[in-house]
Amino acid sequence: MCAWQMITDTNSRPPRVVVVGLASCFGCQLQITNAEAHLTEILGQIDLRYWQLVTSEDMPDEFDVAIIEGAVTTREAEETVRKVRERAAHVMAIGACAVTGGVPGMASNELASRAKEVYADSLPDASGEIIEPRPVSDVIEVDSEVRCCPIDPYDFVAHLQRALFGSNRVDETRTMCADCKRNETECFFSKGELCLGLVTRAACGARCVNLGRPCNGCAGLSPDANLNGARAACASYGVSVADFDKALEMFNQVALQK
Amino acid sequence: MKATINVDHVARIEGHGDIHVVIEEGQVKTVEMAVVEPVRLFESMVRGRSFTEVSYIASRICGICSASHVVTDLLAIERIFGIEVSDRTNALRELLLYGSYLQNHGTHLFVLAAPDFLGQKSVFPVEQIDPALFDSALALKSLGNELCTKVGGRSIHPITAVVGGFTHEMSADEYRAFADRMDGMRPFAIATVDLFNSFAIPDIQSTGDMLAMYDPDKYAICDSRIAKFAGAGTEFDADDFDGNIEEYAVEHSGALFARARWTKSNYMTSALARINVSWDNLCKDAKVAAAKAGLRPPERNPFRNNVAQAVELVDALERCAELCRRLANDEFEGSSVPEPYEVRAGRGVGFTEAPRGTLFHELDLDDDGRVVRASIVTPTAQNVANLESDMRQLAELLVAQGADEAEIRLEIEKLVRAYDPCLSCSVH
Repeated sequence: MCAWQMITDTNSRPPRVVVVGLASCFGCQLQITNAEAHLTEILGQIDLRYWQLVTSEDMPDEFDVAIIEGAVTTREAEETVRKVRERAAHVMAIGACAVTGGVPGMASNELASRAKEVYADSLPDASGEIIEPRPVSDVIEVDSEVRCCPIDPYDFVAHLQRALFGSNRVDETRTMCADCKRNETECFFSKGELCLGLVTRAACGARCVNLGRPCNGCAGLSPDANLNGARAACASYGVSVADFDKALEMFNQVALQK
Repeated sequence: MKATINVDHVARIEGHGDIHVVIEEGQVKTVEMAVVEPVRLFESMVRGRSFTEVSYIASRICGICSASHVVTDLLAIERIFGIEVSDRTNALRELLLYGSYLQNHGTHLFVLAAPDFLGQKSVFPVEQIDPALFDSALALKSLGNELCTKVGGRSIHPITAVVGGFTHEMSADEYRAFADRMDGMRPFAIATVDLFNSFAIPDIQSTGDMLAMYDPDKYAICDSRIAKFAGAGTEFDADDFDGNIEEYAVEHSGALFARARWTKSNYMTSALARINVSWDNLCKDAKVAAAKAGLRPPERNPFRNNVAQAVELVDALERCAELCRRLANDEFEGSSVPEPYEVRAGRGVGFTEAPRGTLFHELDLDDDGRVVRASIVTPTAQNVANLESDMRQLAELLVAQGADEAEIRLEIEKLVRAYDPCLSCSVH
């Protein structure tokens, strides 16, 4: 449900928005501020109630839209997102960490031994009770997702409009390979190099490939992805299938473990 | 006086940190900077990964410092493989890092720090109070973002910087256009130095040392191997960072703390530390602005880090304009096309000055170029112990002056923000 639909008490009150940061690099929150030219225009449509990164207002009890960045990596964070869900009409997950578990999700495999590896004795109390990193949608229902690592500021603006006003646009599911064909860029596989565009959801216009670097899969697996087909394609181009599986872990470890 | 000051999730800093201060009978008993940022365990994540992925993963430690993490990893890997990159690639890396300085300092000074001094809770009301300042501040931040986007492929988490070079470059005309915009932005940066110098700050003197990259002939941010403690006057090679600084765990912080190994002294690393170490090599306009603001070594008041960042904005704009013109005129030797290399095993340390200070990445690779062991020491992890000690000094000063609880709380928050802590980096 979009925010305006929920606001029945008065027509004049703009939707109240909070921004919550979990385990992440803060980059997606920064990307919001990186929409400089449009920032005040965006803020003019909402009542920004809480955003720890940029204002010293305290977190309020009531709001309409919650924007969540980061993966859920502690019991405390689980509790936070559940509380947010109870209060928000619309929950938006932004960035790979929140949408797929992202890079923090890589640690979901053998978590305990990893903690020991970095903190010799035991984790400090300040770290809270850690759990296997998960995307927000594994804990609560999420209404919309802005993909990629980091999010594109304009993609965020488009999603925010949908959260506020609603939209009947369907989520596209095609893989990124289709975009490269349209862009007429040279395929990495023809040079014997691995690229994850084969199975990754198209969300970025093939930004990395356009700049000479293969796709790392930050938008997450496409629902249309055929992993076995992709493995066969790797083999036929002389690209290591083991490398393909390893590379997939970077942004899809949580999905692969299911 | 008796007071307990708890600030959960200090606002307008990058990451999650809590302040805990207890004052009893006029005595400051407890001062803690609790770093409650979630652990992500990056050192374990890169283990077993190919060298081609390491910089891409480590970049995710921190959005705003992402360019620094990438370049630092690439330097470590290139030392292992024995790759000498071209002068042009070095120039591009410097430009990419300076782009992140413009982003970081612009964001920190105007979005995070300035509201305190303007009596606001955020930067947004500044649009009404001082529209010219608001617009110029956003334009400066935007220039940094665009520079990172044109050099690195996007404003954060660069794409084009790889082992041996870059996969893409902008055109000569685009370099020239950037140079002109940087020249146009310099007067505002100079005014920013004056603005932050005009803000009243408490008179405290950090007792810790200061650490920064050092090159006698240059304001070095990514091409020296020497780190220098400004106070002790001692230098060490980046390869031996582990022998000179040590990390240790404390219960109230997810970030490991750090100190100088031999003296056990806290230290600060930051724009202020760089100014203390490399003041001689500031560009002309930056040096003039610093002189007018009275910022010169030794400067030990951590609040002055704000002015130091503003001076670095002037310096970065002047330096980057020249880099862009020279890149446009093809004055650097070699091309940025990645150098050919052979994968081999070994240990390498990458060392750069991130916007927030000295950053070390140590990598051990096996014969296939996979990571056997990684160690990452970030600027903020190095700073937290010193920050705590400065917080205590500030609290004691304010109590002695008879300040009330609200004032103590605000001034401590301002001190935390002056350090420009990056808590996502510090825990990683």
